[in-house]
Amino acid sequence: MHAISKIIARHADRKSVEVGEIVNVTPDYVMLNDRGAARAADLLRKMGGDKVCFPEQIVVVFDHHYPPIRQQDSISQKATREWVKEQGITKFHAGEGIGHVIFPEKGYAFPGALIFGTDSHTVTNSALGCLATGLGHSDIASYLALGYNWLRVPEVIRFNLHGEFKPGVCAKDVALRIAQLYGEDAAPYLAVEFSGPLTAKLPMSERLVLCNMVIDFGAKTGYIQPDDTTARFMAQRAPHLHWTAETTDSDSDCGQIVDLNVGEIDSLVAVPHDLSDIRSAGTLSDVRIDEAIFGTCTGGRIEDFRVAASIMKGKKLAPHTRMMVNPGSREVYLLAMREGIIDALVEAGATVGVPSCGPCSGCHQGMLAPAENAITNASRNFKGRFGSPESNAYVASSATVAASAIAGYIVAPAEFIQR
Amino acid sequence: MHFKGRTWVFGRNVNTDLIFPKMWFRPTYEPGEMASHLMVGMDEEFPNKVRRGDIIVGGQNFGCGSSREEAAAAMKEAGIAGVVAPSFGRLYTRNCINVGLPIIVSPGIDEQVTPGDELEVDLAIGVLRNLRTSYEARLPPMAPESLRLIEDGGIANYTRRILEERRKASAQVRS
Repeated sequence: MHAISKIIARHADRKSVEVGEIVNVTPDYVMLNDRGAARAADLLRKMGGDKVCFPEQIVVVFDHHYPPIRQQDSISQKATREWVKEQGITKFHAGEGIGHVIFPEKGYAFPGALIFGTDSHTVTNSALGCLATGLGHSDIASYLALGYNWLRVPEVIRFNLHGEFKPGVCAKDVALRIAQLYGEDAAPYLAVEFSGPLTAKLPMSERLVLCNMVIDFGAKTGYIQPDDTTARFMAQRAPHLHWTAETTDSDSDCGQIVDLNVGEIDSLVAVPHDLSDIRSAGTLSDVRIDEAIFGTCTGGRIEDFRVAASIMKGKKLAPHTRMMVNPGSREVYLLAMREGIIDALVEAGATVGVPSCGPCSGCHQGMLAPAENAITNASRNFKGRFGSPESNAYVASSATVAASAIAGYIVAPAEFIQR
Repeated sequence: MHFKGRTWVFGRNVNTDLIFPKMWFRPTYEPGEMASHLMVGMDEEFPNKVRRGDIIVGGQNFGCGSSREEAAAAMKEAGIAGVVAPSFGRLYTRNCINVGLPIIVSPGIDEQVTPGDELEVDLAIGVLRNLRTSYEARLPPMAPESLRLIEDGGIANYTRRILEERRKASAQVRS
């Protein structure tokens, strides 16, 4: 069995499961974001449920619309606060950042775990060697009522990453390369495992970026076999938590194994409005950037901020370019302040917002006008994702976004990185 | 399960932001509210043009992107009989099953349908037909668990039933 099948079997109280089989599973943690909590509470009532089964397994995070800028959100968040109290849910985080950033920070994601969330980017957590996947609101409401939900055991596609990065290239470029080679549906309904010598060298922050992006090629979850890097991360984040990693019995437990030499990859950009329409950053020097959007569950970690500072410190944004920065979490915000990164970005001309999803999915400040171009280290370049449906979003790595904000046009970041 | 209806045809990689734009998100919805915003990211007039019993045909990876259930629920509410495409986004697939909307995988179907064609789908014998062109395709069998949820009218009805059984069981224990 693949480790992912074993995770499902354990959470289904079974010895083994087969790929393609549908089983009922009980997850370790379920994340409800602001919208998810409000909708799931509403649907739970409509399903005739009053109490949630396992309040201690529920984590409520306000991230999309926090702090609220519309009356409807403040009303709904007030109702959710009351619901959380009434249900005895104690794991409640408002203003602390994006669910997918704080889950690993707070030790809610751990090797061998099964995690559900009311958001497609819940897959991010799978970098820890767990199964993490998004569900719809009725799905989550049904879980709240019954304490389990159905899950189909996925086939696994393994990307064996090897080679050395060119200067300025990172995990985000690998994800964009996979979208380029195999399309936005590279892995429909599949689990995507990253392995190989390059993956082994990646720090947890880069692994989280890889796994964050798997939803955007159609996958159910990512997976990276827990190793020393994982164990060190867990020892720091949840020193008292006892966890057990599952292991894969044999290579034949993967449906497909794909070799990818990262040494062939340039700094890449997904151009509007298709994530699989990929160009080398160096070929897009005629694309004028009105706004750089920096942060989100893909690119809002402290390591992203360090990269941005290494490029932007002592420089100014191009005169025609603005930059919206949202730390992924309160912890990232504090660290970035202590390390002088916020100073460097603000001195360069960036606007720093609250730890939240920011303008991604058009939730918060920094939205685009028609015909404006944005470059972002978020995950999606969907039409209208950052404001006007007539605007254009280019998706790239944190380094490419920071360098392009300084240049005012899309550039490859290698020559901008200061040592 | 069997249905027949007039078709609307959409392209590849139609994401859920287009099917149900986030600007129409609400914490709770009045009856008919979701349907009134269906597909407006693609065609603002769509809610006025679509009729109950129509069928939506998508291209590859139809419904990719976010987990928003409204993308499926708005179709169900608008009376869409079913949605057919060569492949679907995973969350959208799951949401369709959970709201009781038949979701049919049929390779190459987007090449075989012109908007307005009448399609007939018979899941019992696993056959899809374009009644204008007499194109016919075999359908891969659907997982029995998924089919049962769709026929049940979705996961809400399933959950209600299990909750009711649990209440009866605990009442019996008490008496």
